Amino acid sequence: MISLIKLVSYVCIGVGIWFWFWGTLSLLNGRSVLFKLHTLSVGDTLGSILIIFGLLLLRPQEFPLLILAIISLTVWNTMLGYVIAYSSTSDEYDQVIEETLIEESLGRSGRESYE
Amino acid sequence: MILDLALIAMIAAVLIPLYTAWKTGDIWQTMLAFSSISTKTAVIILLVSVLRDDWMIGVAGVIILSVGNAGLMLLAQIIKRIEKL
Amino acid sequence: MIGEFILRLSIWFLLTANFTVANIIIGVVLAFFLPHYHAKPDRLRDILRTLSKVFVAVPVAYIEAVQMIFRPHIREEIVEERVSSRRSPGLIFLDIFLITFTPKTIVLRYYDAGWYAVHLVKPRRRVRTQPLKESLKN
Repeated sequence: MISLIKLVSYVCIGVGIWFWFWGTLSLLNGRSVLFKLHTLSVGDTLGSILIIFGLLLLRPQEFPLLILAIISLTVWNTMLGYVIAYSSTSDEYDQVIEETLIEESLGRSGRESYE
Repeated sequence: MILDLALIAMIAAVLIPLYTAWKTGDIWQTMLAFSSISTKTAVIILLVSVLRDDWMIGVAGVIILSVGNAGLMLLAQIIKRIEKL
Repeated sequence: MIGEFILRLSIWFLLTANFTVANIIIGVVLAFFLPHYHAKPDRLRDILRTLSKVFVAVPVAYIEAVQMIFRPHIREEIVEERVSSRRSPGLIFLDIFLITFTPKTIVLRYYDAGWYAVHLVKPRRRVRTQPLKESLKN
């Protein structure tokens, strides 16, 4: 029984490390910052959650702090992803987004009135 | 034994963003690499604490994770302002 | 108000991991006397719906991660997503958190009129790969 729990935890840690490598190796290719944010969100956030979950199975007596670690890791990494996505796109980009939004909304309202 | 191998693999994984932070010229790619390093090192601290059976190290890791990346967020805002100038 | 209280108390217990009477009293007093955050209260239904989405989001995030690993997602797009305006900052935070947590989507901007600009990655189109395979056979 104990060995089963250990096995599950090693599998979690292994899959987490695999996520880490997959997410981090994409830092090396020349894609945009936003694309790398997507892969880092797989690698760092989800991979680290899996690794800490594996550690939690290995050391269940410390579960409150490890659960706190999982929660704070999730919230911080996700918000950092949003902040970097927000601030790495410049204001010209902002204008482009707004124009497409306006166009789409015009198209939609036009279609609706047409129907 | 297995955890030792895991530790070696994780240290190898940290080397990748370190290399990126060293090589890249773009500030946002550097920020990405640094955020990746900060998460990975905190998780490595947790793994080392389980490996050495010393929970005091683990408490340090949990504190690092829960204080989080506030500094990096502030830095991102500052860089955006500077780019506007 | 009551949700805020529960949130603070649970963080306190996770931090201290100690259920003696003295610690419970300290936690309750702290959760009660920390400065309160004034906002228009949300409808309970909105809060419950968003919280239930948070629990669904975790398996969805892992499924999307596995999809991204096994099928290269190389197309990037920016789309708009509409939410009802007049949501409280807490619910907007939860919305942005939910969208950004799933790895295929990241919120770029939030507009007060009730839009999110969402950046997403998509797999290669299948329509294009089909003729390519046939041409390889020939």
